[in-house]
Amino acid sequence: MTNRTKPVRAKPSSASRARSPGDDVTQRSNDPNQNTVPNARQLTPAVGQRATRPDGRLHGLGQTQYIDDLSFPGMLFCKIKRAGIASARIVRIDTRQAEAMPGVMAVITGKDIPVNSFGPSIKDQPVLASEQVFHAGDGVAAVAAVTEQIALEALDRIKVEYEPLPAVFDPFEAMTDGAPLVHPPSSNIYATKLIKKGDVESGFRDAYRIFENTYSTQMVEHVPIEPHCSIASWDANGRLTIHSTLGRITLGRADMARTLQMPINRIRIVATIVGGNFGGKNEITQEPVLAVLSRKTGRPVKGTFTRTEEFIATTTRHPITMHYKTGVSKEGKLLARQVRLVLDGGAYCSWSETTLGKACILSPGPYNIDNVYAEAFVVYTNKTMTGAMRGFGAPQVCFAYESQMDEIAEALNIDPLEIRLRNAFTEGSSSPTGQVLHSVVVRDTLMQAAQRFGWKGTES
Amino acid sequence: MKKRGRGIACMWYPIGFTVTANPSAAVVKVNEDGTATVLTGTVETGQGSLTVIGQIAAEELGIATDDVHVVSADTDTTPMDTGAIASRTTYVTGNAVRLAAAKAKEILFQVAAPMLGVKPDQLEACHRRILVKNYPQRSIGIGEVANHAQFVLGQPALGSASFNPSTVALDPQTGQGKPFATYVYATQIADVLVDDETGEVQVLRVVASHDCGVPINPMLVEGQIEGGISMGVGFALQEEMLFDSKGLQRNPNLTNYIMPTSLDMPEIEVDIVSNYEPTGPFGAKGVGEPTAVPTAAAIINAIYNAVGARVYSLPATPEKVLAAIKAKKAQSLQKPKPKRTAAR
Repeated sequence: MTNRTKPVRAKPSSASRARSPGDDVTQRSNDPNQNTVPNARQLTPAVGQRATRPDGRLHGLGQTQYIDDLSFPGMLFCKIKRAGIASARIVRIDTRQAEAMPGVMAVITGKDIPVNSFGPSIKDQPVLASEQVFHAGDGVAAVAAVTEQIALEALDRIKVEYEPLPAVFDPFEAMTDGAPLVHPPSSNIYATKLIKKGDVESGFRDAYRIFENTYSTQMVEHVPIEPHCSIASWDANGRLTIHSTLGRITLGRADMARTLQMPINRIRIVATIVGGNFGGKNEITQEPVLAVLSRKTGRPVKGTFTRTEEFIATTTRHPITMHYKTGVSKEGKLLARQVRLVLDGGAYCSWSETTLGKACILSPGPYNIDNVYAEAFVVYTNKTMTGAMRGFGAPQVCFAYESQMDEIAEALNIDPLEIRLRNAFTEGSSSPTGQVLHSVVVRDTLMQAAQRFGWKGTES
Repeated sequence: MKKRGRGIACMWYPIGFTVTANPSAAVVKVNEDGTATVLTGTVETGQGSLTVIGQIAAEELGIATDDVHVVSADTDTTPMDTGAIASRTTYVTGNAVRLAAAKAKEILFQVAAPMLGVKPDQLEACHRRILVKNYPQRSIGIGEVANHAQFVLGQPALGSASFNPSTVALDPQTGQGKPFATYVYATQIADVLVDDETGEVQVLRVVASHDCGVPINPMLVEGQIEGGISMGVGFALQEEMLFDSKGLQRNPNLTNYIMPTSLDMPEIEVDIVSNYEPTGPFGAKGVGEPTAVPTAAAIINAIYNAVGARVYSLPATPEKVLAAIKAKKAQSLQKPKPKRTAAR
């Protein structure tokens, strides 16, 4: 039930660009419906057209080939044994019983990965945990077997002895002195960000009223329909091919080259259409494991995450605790805003630095505020790692700054739309980092949404 | 009793990485029949990025979307791309594709100019033809030019280019700088129904007004907005990964981790605000992530508008909404006019 409007193209068009009736724009069409349905894919100019997707027809017919639909001769199946304990030293891993099972072709542990660490900024994540477990979803060993069932059964026969270590799950507790260190000797606070503009204290002194509150958000998963899946195979020249659900193949190839200690040109990553990413398929997960298993067995090896692994062993959205203090004038003008963000960073950094930075920069909201002090901390905990997810911290801080905006509006008896219009950026506004902003249309979005909704006072 | 409320939330969101280089490269080959092939290292993740990339190449070359085939997602055959992240594909990859197409077009113009008896800078490409500017009667089909370029002059029309957004590093002490090339803006307004006896929230309608610069493909923008809102509804009301005291997840499955289904989806009205970004490909910016940004805030504000109780921690489950309603009732029994906020 979506009402659609045709947007006005802002670009000026010259006379010769306008479509004229004589143009034969359908001359190459193979579409049998072309006489009744105008085919936007055939129209020029191309920009602005409601062109259908070339993959749409394949999706509709169930013909899209995802990675898990691919199969290669002699292909083996990988399963990864998950720790199931949040913080522990690995005393020993006994894989002998699993290796002895008929149908099991190889079993590996972290020691078999040439460089057993990765991460887009801090390389703090082991491909397979070998000395220590940092969260319960850590993989500790992997099996390649002729069927998935045998591989699963083999996981039960891998015996891992753990020596439990102290764990910390709450980011505020993790920030205190004496809290167990997740990655000793590093501090649990593994990245910080500060945005300072003007003088918040003077802004607060000038304020008619000050509003202060704390908002918090939860950990969520990307939940793509398609779970993570990759297939590793080698050719006789020693080239590695990974068919993968990875969304970022250039980065993935570099990560593979580093963990396997191979030149980049010996690695090929092939993706198809990703069945949902939302930030969760931005970096490698099991791919080095599959590559090592494949090299060991001389056969292609496929690994497909279960839905449970999607939750316990892939990145998630950062829970953020957000403290907002805002000073306003009698007219509802924002004079000063102080923000303190504490991000639960989980067991590994992943894309936390990006999330921290964007959350901090965006935290004052799309408003003209002369005095801003925004600080952000991301903290290790022994939980599933948090990373890139649609919005990189923006949905969290938007919940906070827009909640507080309504609290201010109510207390000052100003309409929620009006208080936003009074403070919103305009063309040439200066952002919290001092950037002069262009093509700013936040007021247009406010007015158009309000009119469309039928917001009181905006009915035309 | 079920009470109705409305809530508004606006947002800003950047395009591309925070200062860090995040380039895209692209190759555009014009085939001898006037169709084209684009090579890009980005991967289609379901959002329609390859369609948009095809439309950008087609626009620059003056041909139709269907005339462009986009080859992607193979590190052996496609140039590097930072990937589908940070709402950057339309802007960054799109700019690289546009520049690469412009280089291929330059070759076509050099070839076409003597054929039309003018200089290359007097030409433009549209409607699958190369025309003399302001004298469109004199024109020649792109296929004919491409064929002539390749088989007669031995000068195939192809181009490669890269693009990286312009930023300025942030000062480490103050955070001042230009972290992003450009930003997009949006407002969403939610209309909700709250049951004040159970705390249950139903989102009836969301009006979403988004800026994406010039929409390269309005249908795909609408698709992104609808998808983003479904993610926002889950974030606002339902989804939460729970851990026990030992750090083990309690609901790592879709039976107990509750996501919105089509039955939970509100009626969505999409509105694309007219805008033009001078540094974007044909005025475009992007739209992917921002669509999921303001939804939860709008819903929480709508809950407050409906029942006068504010939820400070997401998700606003029925338990939390009910607790907030009860707390508000208890407060109003104590004081005639409650204030959550401190006055000076």
